[in-house]
Amino acid sequence: MQPKSEHLLEFKGINTYYGDMHALKDVNYTIGHGEIVSLLGGNACGKSTTMKTIMGVVRPRTGTVLFDGLPIENLATSERVKRGIAPVLEARRLFPRMTVYENLEMGAYTQKRGAQFREDLERVYGLFPRVKERRSQIAGTLSGGEQQMVAIGRALMARPRLICMDEPSMGLSPLYVEQVFDIIQEINRQGVSIFMVEQNAAMALSIAHRAYVLQTGVVVLQGTAAELREHDDIKQAYLGEMKVETAA
Amino acid sequence: MTSGDVLLQQLINGLSLGSMYSLLALGFTLVYGIMELINFSHFNVFMVGSMIAMLTLQALGVVGQETVMTGLPLAGVLLVTFAVTMLACGGIALSIERFLLRPLRAVKGPAAMITTIGVSYVLFNVVLLTLGTDAKNFPNPLPPIIFNIGGAVLRLREIMIWVTALVLMGGLTYFVQYTKIGRAMRATAQDPDAARMMGVEVDRVVMMAFFLSGALAGACGLIFGLYYNLAKVDIGFAAGLRAFTAAVLGGIGNVPGAMLGGILIGLIEAFSGQVVGTAWTDVVIFSLLVLVLVFKPAGLLGRLAPNKS
Amino acid sequence: MVSSAVAFVSRPFQAMSPNARKSLGLLLLAAIMLAFPLIHDDDADIDTAANALSYATLALGLNIVVGFAGLLDLGYAAFFAIGAYYYGIFTSFQVMPLWHDYWAPLASLGLVEKMNQGGPDLVHFTLSFWIALPTAAVVSAFFGVLFGAPTLRLRGDYLAIVTLGFGEIVPIVARNVDSVTNGAAGLNGIQAPKLFGYNFGIDAEPYYYVGVGLMALLIFVSIRLRDSRIGRAWMALREDETAASTMGVNLVRFKLLAFAIGAAFAGMTGVYFVAKLQTATPDMFNFNVSSMLLVMVVLGGMGSVWGVVVGALLLQLMQTWFLPQLSEWLHALGNVLNNDMLRGVDMVQWTQLLFGIILIGMMLFRREGMIPATRKMPALSFNAQHAEIKRGGFANLHNIPRWDTGTGNALEIRDVVVKFGGLTALNAVTLTVPDGGVVAVIGPNGSGKSTLFNVITGLVKADSGSIKFHGVELLGLQPHEVLEEGVARTFQNIRLFPNLTVLENVLIGQHARLSSGPFASVLHTPHNRAEEAKALVWVTDIISMFGNRLTPRAQQPVGGLSYANRRRVEIARALASKPRILLLDEPTAGMNPAETLELAEQIKSLHALGLTILIIEHKLDVVTKLADNVVVLDHGDKIAEGLPDEVRRNEEVLTAYLGRAARAAVMETTDAA
Repeated sequence: MQPKSEHLLEFKGINTYYGDMHALKDVNYTIGHGEIVSLLGGNACGKSTTMKTIMGVVRPRTGTVLFDGLPIENLATSERVKRGIAPVLEARRLFPRMTVYENLEMGAYTQKRGAQFREDLERVYGLFPRVKERRSQIAGTLSGGEQQMVAIGRALMARPRLICMDEPSMGLSPLYVEQVFDIIQEINRQGVSIFMVEQNAAMALSIAHRAYVLQTGVVVLQGTAAELREHDDIKQAYLGEMKVETAA
Repeated sequence: MTSGDVLLQQLINGLSLGSMYSLLALGFTLVYGIMELINFSHFNVFMVGSMIAMLTLQALGVVGQETVMTGLPLAGVLLVTFAVTMLACGGIALSIERFLLRPLRAVKGPAAMITTIGVSYVLFNVVLLTLGTDAKNFPNPLPPIIFNIGGAVLRLREIMIWVTALVLMGGLTYFVQYTKIGRAMRATAQDPDAARMMGVEVDRVVMMAFFLSGALAGACGLIFGLYYNLAKVDIGFAAGLRAFTAAVLGGIGNVPGAMLGGILIGLIEAFSGQVVGTAWTDVVIFSLLVLVLVFKPAGLLGRLAPNKS
Repeated sequence: MVSSAVAFVSRPFQAMSPNARKSLGLLLLAAIMLAFPLIHDDDADIDTAANALSYATLALGLNIVVGFAGLLDLGYAAFFAIGAYYYGIFTSFQVMPLWHDYWAPLASLGLVEKMNQGGPDLVHFTLSFWIALPTAAVVSAFFGVLFGAPTLRLRGDYLAIVTLGFGEIVPIVARNVDSVTNGAAGLNGIQAPKLFGYNFGIDAEPYYYVGVGLMALLIFVSIRLRDSRIGRAWMALREDETAASTMGVNLVRFKLLAFAIGAAFAGMTGVYFVAKLQTATPDMFNFNVSSMLLVMVVLGGMGSVWGVVVGALLLQLMQTWFLPQLSEWLHALGNVLNNDMLRGVDMVQWTQLLFGIILIGMMLFRREGMIPATRKMPALSFNAQHAEIKRGGFANLHNIPRWDTGTGNALEIRDVVVKFGGLTALNAVTLTVPDGGVVAVIGPNGSGKSTLFNVITGLVKADSGSIKFHGVELLGLQPHEVLEEGVARTFQNIRLFPNLTVLENVLIGQHARLSSGPFASVLHTPHNRAEEAKALVWVTDIISMFGNRLTPRAQQPVGGLSYANRRRVEIARALASKPRILLLDEPTAGMNPAETLELAEQIKSLHALGLTILIIEHKLDVVTKLADNVVVLDHGDKIAEGLPDEVRRNEEVLTAYLGRAARAAVMETTDAA
């Protein structure tokens, strides 16, 4: 498929408010086709607001979000999913009383049934043999790591061009964290772009191509993963110590 | 009649009542599961349903209990009446949601519930003012066939009620378990934000839930009329109370729970009427409701309803 | 010419102060109400007016439960019934036990009399109306507590259903316990009131005046309660139970109090209503009455005392005058147009339909009611609107007394374990806060920091361990008890009472330090007046600590304040409780660097006064500025502790924040695409 635009996803001058709290201040990101881009930062820096703005749960007051060159900041969430953005939510948020299989079906909600669905299902089972094993199990009874696999599989069922992941490593044991990050790389190799909000900077930078660092709603650092790994400032940013010139 | 006969008779009565309460409880629970809203207008939609059913049957030429039909004409008349009643009541419930409740979706507190109380009053009084307070003779085309089981009496209409209720409940279960929008309803009930992010249009799901609850209420209204041979403007409250208790007993938000709860309440009502007298049955049912809510709010089959803060 | 005449006449009114205007208005209203029967000498109309007054007092009572305390009671008529039947049973001829000599003393008190209807001697209860009024209040209050108790832990909609249930059960009992209540036929021959020998009889006038008196009394009580510590506690628990509880409001006690007082209003009205009617039947107390009262409260404005009175009187007026009048007009029109339908219409039957429409309309278009409880504030001046960053800590600290500090530990947390299902949120965490010290708790998301605060303040149960505050064990205490011990907190996502003003929010902090109960609050006893005055001074001093950020906005509802100002109000509220330790949960979250600095210095100035502080904060520069000691949590474990500088350089801390690189080796070799 010919990419229509230079970037797959672009945030241009985004300002998001909760009431009068200025959560994102004039934020600019880009996510290229086939890239893994990570958004890093400490507590309450605006990472989850970014996710919500992409998915449409929250609308920005000013600025525009472009997906494949087209503005989406005022589109309904369901519309954005149809256009090719799928989420992997913080703490998984599978439908707890539905089976693994039904969760995957929900992932394919915007897609047609039939051959395409079966193909996608096989693809997910191929990536996650554990998920196939447990497909009739009630989702709420799975372990955190298994749930994360299902959550990623669920996002894949939507045939997305961009997967937005919110803290994929949170609450997982180190073993699962490694598996998850391996899978993310594999999916990326198969052509899906990934936007990953992650607190675990070290892990994120080990697979991302580029990253942004947020601090209280402002982008304080950006660059390739290699550049940022070297940067001492990243520690400061996480610990909330960056001295940034901001308009009071 | 031997005590065995009495027991059997009450069992039959209980199952018939239970079928009706199950249908009504299902409607409550469908809406509550998705919206966490107690829909006070539901039991008057049921009453409106019985009136619509009555008028439809009259329009089809059924007069009182004199017009008796069998076979194909009977099936046809019943099917048409079910269809009309269910569609009309479904439509009424859907309109209530679309125009009166959707604007309040974001408002915290009892505003939506109070609105449903208002709607309940409006429905009741519109029927009261147009059709009056008297008990109407409900047209019943069923032939008065009776089966005697020992000393107990089983009427054709009761078999019809059981079968209809089973079909409807089965249909609803199939719909909720195996269809795409049924799945969307369950997903929305479990996690509306996650559902939205799967591409579910929550507004449509809510409308569907209301439509189905109204349709079930309408069907129940028709069944009620055929069972008691009457339609009256004030049948909603008592039936609604029992249905609500049934839904809570089974576990509110829980579809199989509502069905189980309905049958149980029907049986309790039948037997309590025998033991305590009908005047006190209301007290029995209310007390049961209070006890369940205070001591086991999750109900028999249900999960604990999440906290709305 | 008319306009200038109006202007001329209104000038003296506009010159008066608002208080004087209010008093004059009340005086006029009272004069009109008292003169009414003299001006309009129609017995039927006066009786109707007296009935309307009953519904107004009922609405006032429901307003306490639903409006003030936010408890949606759909079965309120039950208490009306209880008061009515109480008076009915003790004055009618239904319940007449056999006479024995031990009744004699009661007879000499006038409470009973010996009767003979051909047969053995019987006891006829002759409870005086004037004694019945207050005693019915007590009896109803008892039932209020009885019916309210099962609902304490229920959510709003379930509470409504349970109260609906009780509302139904009472008339059913009345209908079926024939021997006592005479079933559906009801009690007749209920005694009319007697005043110094004057028997009220059947004329409506004396009842009307009693009704006016009763309504005036209950309006007075409502207003006094609303503006007291009791009213503030009710409104706090209505707006946010959790925050109210952690600020010292005993939820159980105040919810039951609301039920009790609300029921008392209804009970008294019940006595009045049936004394006038001399009959009590179960139909007078069914769901229609309860829901009509709800419509009155919704129409008038939930929580608004004058609103619900106006709403009640309006609806009664609609039902008893407007609709019949409309019917007459339509009949006349029908005669003119020769239309049978119009000739036969009875608009009174439309009453309930109109109730339903009113409920729907009010919810969709004007939820706050006709006369809303929250007042609109005048716009602020330019100066008041713009505040500058103030450096150097809090202003006006000379009014704030120093905290006494000892040398021991204020807070000792030992081996506290908190598990949520399979997840261990806190794993044997041990931490001490020395008296007069500042300890900071830091850690990544999900490390257990907020859980720590929740377990200290009693919002969450610990599975094991101990938390001692100045030697007192906190684990197992209710949140309001923890506040009483001197532990006050703020919340990460700010939990204020949105519809209350800044002043009212901060005053809630004083709730546990004041002791006036409902009687003292209504009567304005000297003790009550003194403690309210003292509380007001204290709270004003605290608010002034924030310079001109909060003081000009003291009478504004906090819902409209900026994010930073709401944070400040929350801190002020916690300080108002005169805590011995202040728990701050990410107080600078969402603030820009300048505001963060200002607040950090303000917290430091509190520390300088000797206040012990435990603070959750993720901005290390704030922590460095404030903390004597830093504790680092990660995944429920304490992984480091020490001086701010030490902790900042600690490898484990950095790893916790920045993440474990499970494949550190791979990091070296991965290349960016």
